[in-house]
Amino acid sequence: MLRTQQPRFQGLDPGHRACQGCGQALAARLTLEAAGPDILLANATGCLEVFTTAWPESAWRVPYLHSVFANAAAVAAGMEAALKAQGKDVKVIALAGDGGTFDIGFQALSGMLERGHDVLFVCYDNEAYMNTGVQRSGSTPHAASTTTSPAGVARMGKRHLKKDILAIIAAHHIPYAATASVAYPADLRKKVRRALQVAGPSFLQVHSPCPLGWGHGSELSIEIARLAVQTGLFPLIELERGALVGAMPIRQIHPVTDYLKPQSRFRHLFAGDPRAREELAHLQALADHNIEAYGLRGEMPDGLDSEGADTVRRGGLRSA
Amino acid sequence: MRQALEGSQAIARAVALCRPQVVAAYPITPQTHIVENIAKLVADAQFQCEFVSVESEFSAASVVLGAACAGSRAYTASASQGIMLMSEVLYNIAGLRVPLVLTCANRAVSAPINIWNDQQDSMAVRDAGWLQLYCADNQEAVDTTIQAFRIAERCELPVMVCVDGFTLTHTLEPLELPSQEAVDAFLPPYAFSRALDPRAPLSLGTLVGPDYFTESRYLHHQAVLAAENEIIAAARDWSSISGRTSAPLIRIDGSDEATVGILTLGSVFGTLLDARDHYGGAPVKILHLRAFRPFPVEALRAATKGLSDLIVLERAISPGADGIVAAEVRSALMDADAPPRVHNFAAGLGGRDVPLTIYPRLLEAIGKPQPRMIPIDLDRDQWPAAADAQ
Amino acid sequence: MPIMTPGAFAYPGTSLAFKTGGWRTARPVHRWVPAPCHAGCPAGEDPCGYVGLVAEGNIKGAWERLVASNPLPAVTGRVCDHPCESACHRGSYDSPIAIHNVERWLGDEAAREAWEYPLPPLPAGAKTVAVVGAGPGGLSCAYHLRRLGIKATVIDRLPLAGGTLRTALPGYRLPREVLDRELERLMATVSFLPHTSLGRDVALEELLHDYAAVFLAPGRQQPHAWDVDGRVPRDLHAALPLLEEWVAFGKVPEIHSAVVVGGGNSAIDMARVLARTGAKVHLVTHDVRPAPGVPRAVAMKAAPRDIQQAEEEGVVLHLEHAIHHLILRGEKVVGVELVRVKKLARDDGHYEIVPFEGTETVLHVDQVIPAVGQKVAPEGMESLLAARGFFAVDDAGRIPGHDGLFAGGDARVGAWGTVSGAVGDGRRAALAIEAYLSGQPHGLERHPEPIQFSGLNLNYFEHAPRGEEVLLPPDGRVGTAEIAAGLSGQEVALEVARCLSCGTCMACDNCWTVCPDQAVLKMQSPAGMRYLTDYDYCKGCGLCAHECPVGFIAMVEESS
Repeated sequence: MLRTQQPRFQGLDPGHRACQGCGQALAARLTLEAAGPDILLANATGCLEVFTTAWPESAWRVPYLHSVFANAAAVAAGMEAALKAQGKDVKVIALAGDGGTFDIGFQALSGMLERGHDVLFVCYDNEAYMNTGVQRSGSTPHAASTTTSPAGVARMGKRHLKKDILAIIAAHHIPYAATASVAYPADLRKKVRRALQVAGPSFLQVHSPCPLGWGHGSELSIEIARLAVQTGLFPLIELERGALVGAMPIRQIHPVTDYLKPQSRFRHLFAGDPRAREELAHLQALADHNIEAYGLRGEMPDGLDSEGADTVRRGGLRSA
Repeated sequence: MRQALEGSQAIARAVALCRPQVVAAYPITPQTHIVENIAKLVADAQFQCEFVSVESEFSAASVVLGAACAGSRAYTASASQGIMLMSEVLYNIAGLRVPLVLTCANRAVSAPINIWNDQQDSMAVRDAGWLQLYCADNQEAVDTTIQAFRIAERCELPVMVCVDGFTLTHTLEPLELPSQEAVDAFLPPYAFSRALDPRAPLSLGTLVGPDYFTESRYLHHQAVLAAENEIIAAARDWSSISGRTSAPLIRIDGSDEATVGILTLGSVFGTLLDARDHYGGAPVKILHLRAFRPFPVEALRAATKGLSDLIVLERAISPGADGIVAAEVRSALMDADAPPRVHNFAAGLGGRDVPLTIYPRLLEAIGKPQPRMIPIDLDRDQWPAAADAQ
Repeated sequence: MPIMTPGAFAYPGTSLAFKTGGWRTARPVHRWVPAPCHAGCPAGEDPCGYVGLVAEGNIKGAWERLVASNPLPAVTGRVCDHPCESACHRGSYDSPIAIHNVERWLGDEAAREAWEYPLPPLPAGAKTVAVVGAGPGGLSCAYHLRRLGIKATVIDRLPLAGGTLRTALPGYRLPREVLDRELERLMATVSFLPHTSLGRDVALEELLHDYAAVFLAPGRQQPHAWDVDGRVPRDLHAALPLLEEWVAFGKVPEIHSAVVVGGGNSAIDMARVLARTGAKVHLVTHDVRPAPGVPRAVAMKAAPRDIQQAEEEGVVLHLEHAIHHLILRGEKVVGVELVRVKKLARDDGHYEIVPFEGTETVLHVDQVIPAVGQKVAPEGMESLLAARGFFAVDDAGRIPGHDGLFAGGDARVGAWGTVSGAVGDGRRAALAIEAYLSGQPHGLERHPEPIQFSGLNLNYFEHAPRGEEVLLPPDGRVGTAEIAAGLSGQEVALEVARCLSCGTCMACDNCWTVCPDQAVLKMQSPAGMRYLTDYDYCKGCGLCAHECPVGFIAMVEESS
């Protein structure tokens, strides 16, 4: 059967109930391809858990444990401790959304990092509580409209900033932390492999568009994710022991409006409201700040910059 | 070999004898001495395990959950607020049917904050789906801890071993600690049928919708009920190895001629035995409800057969609904032939001393109509008069 | 009914039982949309296809794909004005693929390796068709008939086949040995009657009687009459005979300075040939330089490359100029008066040449050589020629009202006037002849719209410079030494890697990579369909289509 003969590891089977064009489903699939079968997964409550494990079915082909919302990092830590005690060379990956990472799961995450467990924690960042109906989270970008930060006469969406989770993670001085995006699958897989190589805790924040929550067509998930990188709003960076060791240069920097406009969560910023201009300028300033702070401006075309990193080749030699 | 040990130290050594591979804990009074002792055993290389000092009880429960699912025997201990904080995970562990052992060093629950002993904490999670075994003394704590691992692993259910904080955990008692050989003969190496394994990758913790949820919950309920057999078997088998008798479900002390019984859980059992010796009088049967989950309905009916009055003395209250244990006892005995009248008192909340003098007061109370639970040691002098008027 | 498990655990991969395909409102389908190079090739070549095969390392397959439409790639790779490259979408990204060099390299490889055309055996009782004219149009038709299992007999007035390829194309553009090599392979597949002129040696009626059908591709042999205000210099030379003289014998009458009139290949070649003899050469044309976006009607017909080389060789261009007046001393030219003109579109779409008073200038030259085109030499087929002296045919090459008669190449109304155009005419006529012979109805060839540039997803491509072939320096361009060196195999490999594969799957794995549902399955077979959409699970999100770099996947609404 063709499906069983695919030349890549398939850890997440179809038949899962993710929405059309789900960034998180894609990100998880890519993560597992890079990680391979010798892993244990600990998953926080969230869309990923819900859409993959409707009993009696499961889409997973790797050992999988979902406990509760806040404890993915701690469960993973326990798995790791057990494997260590048993002397087994099996990697442990914790999977959580931004809620399970930035907010409710943060304490357990911080503890796991501090204790130095050999665990890769992957945050699928779709910037709100999607599973419960698009409520704002600590990861929701400034000015985005959600069901608990709706835009209205008195408000222009979320009043607060997106939490700089990577800086907080970096402060734990762990061996490896990085951001990645579904728009750059090869880069994402490379980072998963790198994270699994290092001994000790590692962290990956994967920008994963949610067509339903962000309000864009399901076919645009990758396009939107790519624009997040190309505008500077979601820098792709790598940190070792808290120090910046890599950043994907942006060859052609797009204005943030290229990213914001196709998403209905930012629709109010384009409705002619005078305050919207200020918010747009604010978001542009945040992007400019990222570009400055991480040195994202590409000096010259580079095979690994925002334009070069996702090229394809005839015959499918795109690295898997 | 009989030796004088602090309860916590004895429990720690019993845990070590069971060879868990992962111990995770967060410090909370009065559990601290248990985990400190385990940490010291590990530090002194007397015990090999991954000792994970987590950042919260929530994570402690989560770490042992992960470890047990990943194929290692795991243990944790907590109390009071810690039990509250881990309660979400406690439900989860039970629902996942994961074998684990947790020592609850019983303590009052805030507010007002109070670090001393009662049993409000374990009672608060009685519906979590764990087995709950209460210990009357430190020998029982040692023996129950060892049995708990076997029960948990055979039933694929978590076991909470409830030990009164301070009263037991911080008290030096002469007791027998078994040999490693004895424990090894009783407790086989850890095995969990659903352990996570890349070669047989199961998915644990699935989403179960309305179509299947009742079956899942009822299956869990049945498993807890059926655990009674394993509790009995463990007590029997451990007795034959240790040479100590130990009552599996209900510990009974007193003559069958008695028409009055007093039922309690935990260390108050010993107090009541001493009081009975001290005061004498008509025969009274003293019962210690060792197994609270599963609730041993048949054993209770048998133990109370022939009693006219049964006093339930408990150390937690369900505000607005009397005592928790008494309500369950009443419910269990309701259909029995000629059930005893059940009287309900609380005592020793938040560490208040339960003195011998409580014994005659309990017996006095039988004659008076007292349909609702009251704390028998309530101090009227500090009681706001206005409260009675309400 | 599933049986409840302890803790409600589930077995791996059991979600396969849940078919999410039912959610779909639109389905991704693989579509084959022509690449613009394909749509832009008068010969009907599919460069996107053979470039892709070269990129996959299947060189022989690429050549076979190529000769499925054009039997003369070594020739056209050198002399074609390659409209495919003007159409190439890569031109809108950085610079077009050097398709002509790939084509030329394939033709040369085939010669080096002595590959044979992949032809089916002739069926018993195969019919024979007469082809008049052994130029590219006639030879193409004969070859394609043979591919279709029909014999062809080619007649030509000349002793050797090749038509204008042989008589009028200078060796510096098309070395004689390249032509001979390629024609040798082709002529082995057809019968050839040389020294046979229609009208003189054989009558059209005889051909119609003796053969199952006749294809007329006589080319244009007779120069148009030319004058300025009715005045013609006494020693006027038309370009074509002069060019043929140079091609055949390597020399022309001594001319010191000349103005060549016209903007086509003959004009440019004439100018370059004269420049090689040491003459001072001017070229006057109404047209502008061909470039992307310039309408065909106002662009010089010569290829940009040849125009540029002519300039390098000293030819002075006077674009958008016309000869206003001949300056004669007696009947001999001593100069011309030029005027600036512009071709302006009229309301009916035709262009009108408008001269601008006050822009006159004088050139002192001793020859004026018109290269303003030729017409069909009518002998033997006078009755068939339409009003302006050409065959009026439909798109399939059929001459309306004359069953069994077909025509094409330069001799038809609206001819491309290029080798590749003639090759295409021959191929289309062969198809129509096959239909005619078998009594089948023959629809006109359909030309589906090529994929739009906006249909590609350029995020997946990287800029890369176009491979440029080495040219002889202008002072080294003497005689018939070939100017363009072509690309090496290695350079060709780099060049084909630049192809955007417009509308054609290039097996890049992107759809396989981006599907969140693993509904795209990679096929194991090296050829044919590379991916299968598993509609049991495809939810129709459209990611594969949107992210397909080459526009190969389209979302089609599900019928409810």
